Amino acid sequence: MKPLAGLRIADFTVHAAGPFCTHMLSQMGAEVIKVETALRPDIFRKPHAVYGRQGPATFDQVSSNKLSVRLNLKHPDGVALAKKLVTIADVAAESFRAGVMARLGLGYEALHQAKPDIVMVSVSSSGQTGPESHFAGYAPLFGAWGGLGYLSGHADGPPVEMRHVMDHSVGMHAALATLAALHRRRRTGLGCHVDVAAREVASSLVGDALTAASASVTVGRMGNDDMTRAPHGLFPTADADRWLSIAVSGDEEWQKLAGIIGQPHLGHDPRYATQPCRHENRRDLDDPIAAWTGAQKGETTAELLQAAGIAAHLSWAASDIVSDPHMRARGSIIEVTETNGHLRAAVGRPARFAGDDAPGITRGTPALGGDEAYVYGELLGLSRARINALIDDKAIY
Amino acid sequence: MSDKPLTGLRVIERASGVAAAQAGRLMCQMGAEVIMAEPTGGTPIREEPPLLPGGQSALFTYLSAGKCSVICDPSNPGFREDMEKLLAEADIFIDDTPVADRAGLGLDEARIAKAHPDLVHLSVLPYGAYGPKAGWKGEELNLIHAGGEGFLLPNGLSADLFPDRPPLKIAGHFAEMQGGTTAAMAALAALWAGKGQFVDASVQDANVAVGAFGIQRFGDGSVEHRLTRSFKFGGVIECADGYVELLTLESRQWEGLLDLLGADDWAQDPGLADEVGRSARGGEINERIRSWARHQKVEDLVSKAQTRGVPMARYNAPEHVLTGLQETARGIFATLETPDGPVKVQSLPFRFGPDALPVSETIASPGADQSILTGDNDRRASA
Repeated sequence: MKPLAGLRIADFTVHAAGPFCTHMLSQMGAEVIKVETALRPDIFRKPHAVYGRQGPATFDQVSSNKLSVRLNLKHPDGVALAKKLVTIADVAAESFRAGVMARLGLGYEALHQAKPDIVMVSVSSSGQTGPESHFAGYAPLFGAWGGLGYLSGHADGPPVEMRHVMDHSVGMHAALATLAALHRRRRTGLGCHVDVAAREVASSLVGDALTAASASVTVGRMGNDDMTRAPHGLFPTADADRWLSIAVSGDEEWQKLAGIIGQPHLGHDPRYATQPCRHENRRDLDDPIAAWTGAQKGETTAELLQAAGIAAHLSWAASDIVSDPHMRARGSIIEVTETNGHLRAAVGRPARFAGDDAPGITRGTPALGGDEAYVYGELLGLSRARINALIDDKAIY
Repeated sequence: MSDKPLTGLRVIERASGVAAAQAGRLMCQMGAEVIMAEPTGGTPIREEPPLLPGGQSALFTYLSAGKCSVICDPSNPGFREDMEKLLAEADIFIDDTPVADRAGLGLDEARIAKAHPDLVHLSVLPYGAYGPKAGWKGEELNLIHAGGEGFLLPNGLSADLFPDRPPLKIAGHFAEMQGGTTAAMAALAALWAGKGQFVDASVQDANVAVGAFGIQRFGDGSVEHRLTRSFKFGGVIECADGYVELLTLESRQWEGLLDLLGADDWAQDPGLADEVGRSARGGEINERIRSWARHQKVEDLVSKAQTRGVPMARYNAPEHVLTGLQETARGIFATLETPDGPVKVQSLPFRFGPDALPVSETIASPGADQSILTGDNDRRASA
């Protein structure tokens, strides 16, 4: 049995970070009921422009496994039904701008009243409190606010934009916090309001640099360099745009690498013999290494270096990841059959559990409102006539 | 909330890398008692830069504040016995010992499952404990590329400026941090199930998971690339005194941007009425935004933009984050006394009520809590 079997989540989240949180919990067995409305479908459910190209919906991954119900939260009966849904849930998750749920009549106080031990999880750009809590934001802005974007980039270049990994990292942290809150509820009987701030997640990922900066130690952009390790970088291979990452952590590794690239004398050259010397003179080593890697075919080169105990891996595109036997063996990439019959690769459960090795995803994207008979009928006990009346009145819409 | 959510849990951490230590950090800051079982001289993380002026690792300080330390060195004859003692009273065991070394230390999955059936045994390795690459070594640089995000960076302005340079990592230990956070989450899920079990977390898996959008796009028929994975306008914008990020995804935000720029001509232009049309003329739009922004001060610009509902943020340097209005109001930094003097440490990026959880303040020297093993455990009693 999956570890979170028996948990139920009323999922009001939209876009990327919030849905990813509930998606992770769903892959580990939680029943997630996604609340949507045809009035304003999740932007990711419909075709939308991505990087300037009109593309298909990109909703499938994070909505897999979830159940879908329609609910018009601008209708008083819709709000009442939302509260009723919360009474049968362990967790209510949302990712609107701070204050929106309260304006809808679904703030923490209201949900707490409906279900005293509810764990409400709010994911927002800047948190539920503070003078900038109302700021609009997306992943690149979280990275910019949090210092992560400033610190990423070439030493002679500008900051770098963070993308969806930033959103999803927020979602992963939110999933962790949700589980911690549930453990506390189990111990104390108390629910709580979990407040996840995306910009704080971004800054927490460079928490060491912030601690250093607080003691007046400057940390800046440093490209692919490491503060002590060398050689440390991306090197070309014989194939175009196929790069090999190499990170040498010790003198013995360096001596082995020098031998492998046919320059054993460099392994004992005093300019490179110790880590501090090697780091100081690291740029001198770029060309000899690139001269060797540039004549190699990628994957076998990574294997050769790994066999010598050197940390190396190709810079992988999505096409490499989905076909990787290692990822497949672990169940971290799986095949999912969509409701339209289309088979696609998807990210599987976030870890392997000895107690359960079933695939994380058991069904694809739900149709909008496709699970209302089960949720409104079976779980909430509404009669068919009542459901139809709510549909006619556009409370379920 | 008056008590921390994981109060009462005991965690043993054998961490030589950032991912396992990050898993322990998150549990510790959420109230678990985390005991580092360190080799003589301490975990190598204690030596990792950035270093504070007195030589103490800022990375270790950040990852390990509040944790206890006992010396439990594999080369000592009492190692197995000591580990047994520690694991016997623990709820979670975090370990990043390479798979090949585990059986020799008595730390393999089967033996621990048999001896400690109630324990959640959390393995945290670069590529996991199972699969053809389970024995592979992986540093941060390798892992950000094994997970797919490295190949897609940089993008936007940096990619425009340096199209021929190799892909670029994210700052610091981004990939390993994802590994640690994901591992901690998986361990709490396993614990929820109410029985001990082995949990196999992989830093690569965690990064593929947070990079899920790339896998999704592959399923939709496209392989993303750093030179094309860019919003066609906005992005990193250079101002007179720094950089800002600008991203408008919705029409009302675009309208706010036009007001900010005073671009009435664009407001009248039917070719710019939708996102696809705007993107097609992204170069032209960016040229105007960039030349205009070069004369603007970051703080004024961000304030004007947010007032108009235009998503914009300053690229904050660490000192900006440390003193930020929002960060200060939310009290996310605690001041810790260290041998290097006072330093700031960020609390968790989530909270369980109105206030940030207080940061546990102790920075344990190696073996500072050896009494946990000798049985004279005053510290735990007072914790």
